[in-house]
Amino acid sequence: MKLPLSWLKDFVNVDATADEIARRLSAAGLVVENVECLAPGFAGVFAAKVLQVEKHPNADRLNLCEVDAGEKGKFKVVCGAPNVHAGMIAPLALIGARLGKEPPLEAATIRGVQSEGMLCSERELGLSQDHQGILALSAAAPLGSDVAAYLHLDDTIFDVEITPNRGDCLSILGLAREVSALFSVKLRAPKLRATHSPESPDAAQVSVTIEAPDLCPRYAALAMTRIKIGPSPAWLKRRLELCGMRALNNVVDATNYVMLELGQPLHAFDWTKIAGGKIIVRRAGDTREFTTLDNVARTLDAQDLLIADAEKPLAIAGVMGGLNSEVSDSTDAILLESAYFEPMTIARTARRLGLRSEASYRFERGIDRAGQVAALIRVAELIRKIAGGRESSIIADFEPRKAEPREITLDLNAMEALLGVATPAATAKSRLKALGAQVTTRGKAMLAVVPPSFRPDLNEQADLVEEVARLSGLEDIPASMPARIATLAVVNPEREFIKGTREVMLGCGLTEAATLAFTAPGENQRFPGIRSTLVPVKVTNPLSAELGELRLSLLAGLVAALRFNLNREAVSFHAFEIGKTFAMEGDLPHEENRLAAISYGTYALAAIGEPGVKAGFFSLKGVLESYLDAIGISSRVSFRPVAEGEAPFLHPGRGAIVMLDGNAVGLIGELHPAEAMRLDLNDPCALYELDLSKFIAYGLSPRKTIEAPPRFPAIRRDLALVLDRNFPADVVIRTIRECGSSLLVSVEIFDVYEGNAVAAGMKSVALACRYRAKDRTLTDEEVNRVHALLVEQARRRLGAELRQ
Amino acid sequence: MKEQLEEIRRRAMSELGDNADEAQVDAVRVRVLGRSGELTEIMRRMREVPNEERPAIGQLINQIKREVEARVEELSEKLKAAALDKSLNEKRIDVTLPGMRIARGRIHPITDIMEQMLQIFESLGFEVEMTQDIEDDFHNFEALNFKEHHPARDMQDTFYVEGGMLLRTHTSNGQIRVMEKRRPPLAIVCPGKCYRRDDLSVRASPMFTQIEGFMVDKIGRVTMAHLKGVLTQFAQAFFGATAIRFRASYFPFTEPSAELDMHCLLCDGAGCPVCKHSGWTEVLGCGMIHPNVLRAVGCDPAEYQGFAFGIGVERTGLLKLGVDDMRLFFENDLRFLAQFPALSGGVR
Ligand SMILES: [Zn+2]
Repeated sequence: MKLPLSWLKDFVNVDATADEIARRLSAAGLVVENVECLAPGFAGVFAAKVLQVEKHPNADRLNLCEVDAGEKGKFKVVCGAPNVHAGMIAPLALIGARLGKEPPLEAATIRGVQSEGMLCSERELGLSQDHQGILALSAAAPLGSDVAAYLHLDDTIFDVEITPNRGDCLSILGLAREVSALFSVKLRAPKLRATHSPESPDAAQVSVTIEAPDLCPRYAALAMTRIKIGPSPAWLKRRLELCGMRALNNVVDATNYVMLELGQPLHAFDWTKIAGGKIIVRRAGDTREFTTLDNVARTLDAQDLLIADAEKPLAIAGVMGGLNSEVSDSTDAILLESAYFEPMTIARTARRLGLRSEASYRFERGIDRAGQVAALIRVAELIRKIAGGRESSIIADFEPRKAEPREITLDLNAMEALLGVATPAATAKSRLKALGAQVTTRGKAMLAVVPPSFRPDLNEQADLVEEVARLSGLEDIPASMPARIATLAVVNPEREFIKGTREVMLGCGLTEAATLAFTAPGENQRFPGIRSTLVPVKVTNPLSAELGELRLSLLAGLVAALRFNLNREAVSFHAFEIGKTFAMEGDLPHEENRLAAISYGTYALAAIGEPGVKAGFFSLKGVLESYLDAIGISSRVSFRPVAEGEAPFLHPGRGAIVMLDGNAVGLIGELHPAEAMRLDLNDPCALYELDLSKFIAYGLSPRKTIEAPPRFPAIRRDLALVLDRNFPADVVIRTIRECGSSLLVSVEIFDVYEGNAVAAGMKSVALACRYRAKDRTLTDEEVNRVHALLVEQARRRLGAELRQ
Repeated sequence: MKEQLEEIRRRAMSELGDNADEAQVDAVRVRVLGRSGELTEIMRRMREVPNEERPAIGQLINQIKREVEARVEELSEKLKAAALDKSLNEKRIDVTLPGMRIARGRIHPITDIMEQMLQIFESLGFEVEMTQDIEDDFHNFEALNFKEHHPARDMQDTFYVEGGMLLRTHTSNGQIRVMEKRRPPLAIVCPGKCYRRDDLSVRASPMFTQIEGFMVDKIGRVTMAHLKGVLTQFAQAFFGATAIRFRASYFPFTEPSAELDMHCLLCDGAGCPVCKHSGWTEVLGCGMIHPNVLRAVGCDPAEYQGFAFGIGVERTGLLKLGVDDMRLFFENDLRFLAQFPALSGGVR
């Protein structure tokens, strides 16, 4: 909301500086985003009446005018404007006047006649590009007054951000009330005279029927006639423009002016277009379509509120008028509407139609529930003044639903309990009164408060506490510490688990990345993540099609981050992300905590003279295994080669599903070469992704029991088995564990060999088995016996040859 | 025999000169002191020596043995020291060359900032609770006193997703989620991602991080003065000593509502283009929990009250880091990320 200082001063005589006003308003919750000082583009220009116009003796197109500038004197000036005529009041630049960047005006002799000044057009005053003729000032402009001051060109504009609860401050009067309360200066509300009674030849019968009192509890209307439609006077146009509105014609401008001033939206209908002089306020019902005054055919909803006559709709209530009843240049009789519409209905209709008007904006936020008649009186007075016209009806005021009385009890003790500081009753009382509330004292620490009709946001005690606190200034509230609620710092185990997870990844050399949750459908298809059967969640109102779905996997984002860095000098990229992924579960979207990693380029031990290890399946699997070790669940996790089509973005021979207690909880592998080629990657790119929530569940389970170190030595026996080269190593280990006696404490692969010493297509897997008893040192004979037994069983079950 | 011994001594000592190498020393040791060496040989022939001379000869043998042994020992030590010297020299390296390492990863700045904030609140006795990103209208709006069709909803442009759900526009849903399952007294912070329909730009991101904090207890035990106290402590701990102020504001779920401003870090309150010459920057929104919010979770506002605040992690992070582009947080440019610590908890 733009607030011109000059207009503010019509209602409140505040002498603080503009900066001080801005500071106090901002501190009270009405943030002044900008203070703009306007300087007129001219000086030395005064309002002057043209007394007489004569033809210039030496030039057809020029006139010689005698003008009266009040106490400044009478002057003779040469004027070439076609619109100059005796009786008009126009801006007169006297000798020495400054017009824009021009040098001071000098006396000039034009075609032999001396000119003592210049009558100015809007362009010459820098007001607009209009140079058709000289500017006609209002007939009411005082002669000799400084035109810059008269037109409010010398002004300060506050740009105030109005929060949605303060519909009352979408008006100059509302803001003036705030200023008056903040600075403790008296508010001078506009004086309203009663409207004139219609004179008999003009009398019009206005009838109003409100069929939807739930949506429109009050509707007031007034007919006027003998209107002369034309441009508004310059001062009014100027005020509209300062407030960001365009001037149209005097009647429409007058309704807008009063809306800005009082906050009550008004509408003017062409009276002759209203069939039978009947206004009906009703739901759209069967009316499906309506053309608004911007000449757009709007599709209506049955619940939309319409203003209609006996035959047709005239306006979408509170949102926009209709083309069929618009005030035109030939209009000479109007009907003025001043109504209260329920915020919800206006908001719903305006939003559905995508039509936000100054009127709907105010109705949505709640206007003065009792301000309808005052606004009609005000606008009628203004129209009489600037567009001629007179009232042709009395004010038709219908209120089928009265406002519910509101009285709020303010308990000063409760206020102290909420704010933490006591407020004297007198202070609270005066603050609330300054806002327009009626306040009566009830007992020692109780106030009965009836909020003003223009403050629908004040509904309960807390609302009143806020009003008192913000007007007093929140600075008055002291800062103190509350009693501690948790006697022990309680840690959140899930957060601690995630923190630990992050530490392991950082320790393994992965940098933490953060990517957006929005992705393109194509990316979700390419990187479906852990389970390729997941259905992505569609965003109903995405920013763009490219961000039309929520990510199924963190991998697409990490791969994009890799590409981003390779395009910017990086040669390797090792990163992880902990974040949420989303998928449909039945009809509802579901979210999951994930951990994903990417590793590309030189990974470990790179130094001078050391080639380093290139990232690949095993380097990243090592990271993952370090993590599983760190959280103590290595023994419950296994890796199953990916099946055909299971994770199409992975290399089919270098991908595995991560199984936790036999359930798939993640995957790991190298990016499919076709995908790597698409991304222009020259080295293997390793990836993994885990459903972290599954691990959190394990991480939160109680610690396993701790044992003292063994007291007796372990004895090692090796064996080497010759197997098919595709035979999985972990099956070998599992089988040997199953075959081993209780003395077998560990089995480890220490070598895998393929080459001349074994048959083609075969590999030799060398394993170290360690045996130990808890209560004694084992003898060689004992170990040899159990090992021989194990070797024989394992060989048979695996169908393997022993390698000698 | 005595002459023979003197000859053995003379020869041995001459061969064990200062320049004798390891092989020479070893040869002398074996020849003189070995199991079948010269001295052993002489010992074997002691029978031939007349009885009265035996003690003197025996003494001489022992003396020669000690002398040679000592000399051998001395030379060996010297040789070892020389060999070590030589090896030390040969193994000399350029210690200024870079070491072998697995680079430690870096914490993402959002995490780093968020952890610093959470640690401050945890030390003030707040518990961390995690809540969901996908929300229903009730938990994101209705229960937080955003009435349907109320223009307050326009303050937050919402993403809707399938199933009639939405992406939470703030972590304030945490107030509702937590209070639905737990009763006051409560002191909670809920960190998490939020979503609003803003294009990724210098100033905004469609996804961002917030920490919602709230404290609820019996009437009078958690006041606006306490809110000021807690947030003043927070601002001092997080930003260092700096002036702060509270300004009235509006949020549907707090009443009274306030905005916390802090002296602009760039100009320290003097006014500069970054703070639009006001000297202040907005840090967070806060207020006393609206009675309607307490009602929505079945808490009687006649019995309980509390405060709540919401901090934008990225926005606050930009202030603290002194960088001015939101996009940096989501590009994952290593040249940016590598500047952040490798240890969490703000260890530099
Ligand atoms: Zn500054």
